[in-house]
Amino acid sequence: MVPAAITLSVVAALAWLLWLAADVPARIGSARWVGLASLALVPVWLLLVSYYAPIEAVQGIIQKIFYVHIPAIIPTYFGFVLSALGGVLYLRSREERWDTLAAAGAEVGVVFCTLMLLVGPIWAKPAWGQWWAWDLRLTMTLILWFIYVAYLFLRSFAFGSDTARTYTAVYGIAGVGAIPFVYFALDLAKGAAMHPVNPAREGLPPEMGQTVGVGMITFIWIFAWLVAKRCELGTLQARALASRLGAH
Amino acid sequence: MSGPRVFLEVFRKDLRLDLRSRDRLGHMAVFAFLVVTLLSIVVPVSKAERLSWSPALLWVVMLFTSLLGLGRTFQSETEEGAMELLVQAPVDRGWVFFGKALASLVALFAVELWTAVLFTVFLDVDWSAGLWGCAGAGVLGAVGLAAAGTLLSAIASGARFREFLFPVLLFPLVLPDLVFASRITADSLAGSEIAGVSWAIFLLYDWVFVLIGFFAFDFVLED
Repeated sequence: MVPAAITLSVVAALAWLLWLAADVPARIGSARWVGLASLALVPVWLLLVSYYAPIEAVQGIIQKIFYVHIPAIIPTYFGFVLSALGGVLYLRSREERWDTLAAAGAEVGVVFCTLMLLVGPIWAKPAWGQWWAWDLRLTMTLILWFIYVAYLFLRSFAFGSDTARTYTAVYGIAGVGAIPFVYFALDLAKGAAMHPVNPAREGLPPEMGQTVGVGMITFIWIFAWLVAKRCELGTLQARALASRLGAH
Repeated sequence: MSGPRVFLEVFRKDLRLDLRSRDRLGHMAVFAFLVVTLLSIVVPVSKAERLSWSPALLWVVMLFTSLLGLGRTFQSETEEGAMELLVQAPVDRGWVFFGKALASLVALFAVELWTAVLFTVFLDVDWSAGLWGCAGAGVLGAVGLAAAGTLLSAIASGARFREFLFPVLLFPLVLPDLVFASRITADSLAGSEIAGVSWAIFLLYDWVFVLIGFFAFDFVLED
């Protein structure tokens, strides 16, 4: 049931964000309900993490980082998808609203990517005996983070806002084009895997699986809510700029 | 004026500029010489270790050297105000991309040959062991660098902090290029067979970036 709810959440969140981004001022009211829902999910997730999920026999309490680390994956990739999708829609239509969505996706995505990279080493030190390993998935996430950061730098350094929109759209698309190759290249270069191939296949206890599943759903909706608020902010900024230009 | 014609003219102009002023090629050659010299002094003394490091070092030298050359792909245009004229050419601007990228590719080939000579002289690398594999890696690696580099150089030249932004944009996206090229170089030198799938994926990478460059240039040059 939990995997189905995760899939449903991703699809619903994507559909909602696309619907919202098409007309932010008129539809931003719906963000309140999403915000409330994700706010309600947070204590449930925390209670499950604290009391429902068992303490891991070997690693002990430190393994609880799992419930923050794993759920951050979906928003990280979600943000990437939104920035590329927004970029494509912007290049096709030249409508600012799609660029706002792309920027929001990238900015919120980088927050979750950073979170995942920060909590990972805290867990890795006791679990693997080292802060960092050039493991496939770890390195992949780091490269994704670099692409994200380059994207955000480009957005703030480009001359003029139209240029920034076009350039970042192109860079977002090129970034998504490069991702499969980066994955393959890292596999070729490093190969050694520290991360489990697929936790589900290794017989994770159901309590742990359900807890991390609820964490994923929580993070997806927090992500969606933050993206919506960022879209609202972008729209307000554009309006403020337009009225200032109009006043002159 | 047709698209291929624009491509040829841009290519010829850039090539002529490179050959006459020798700015780009000269700077890259001196820079590569300097880096290889430093590396030769710094890397381990034992020959086996040195040879196992060489392919990766070679491609890192190529990457840093290409920053010098590719970063200035659009300098002549922006300085002389020719960008506006280039944009007005009544063809797909992708052809301008092809012209620019091909000129950069020629420059990269020249630097590759020069770096290979330097590696032979200073690091005692014997290319004859895997000449064809190394040449293939050289061609595919340079195509990827030229394609991604030309596109990102055009983007970086429309932004502040160009010198900082260009490598920040370029490095994560050409990481696969670097890995494939140095892997194939290393395996060829070691005398082992290169799997067909490695070539295929490398080729696909180049193809994807040439396509993205061609189609994205329409948007990039517009603003």
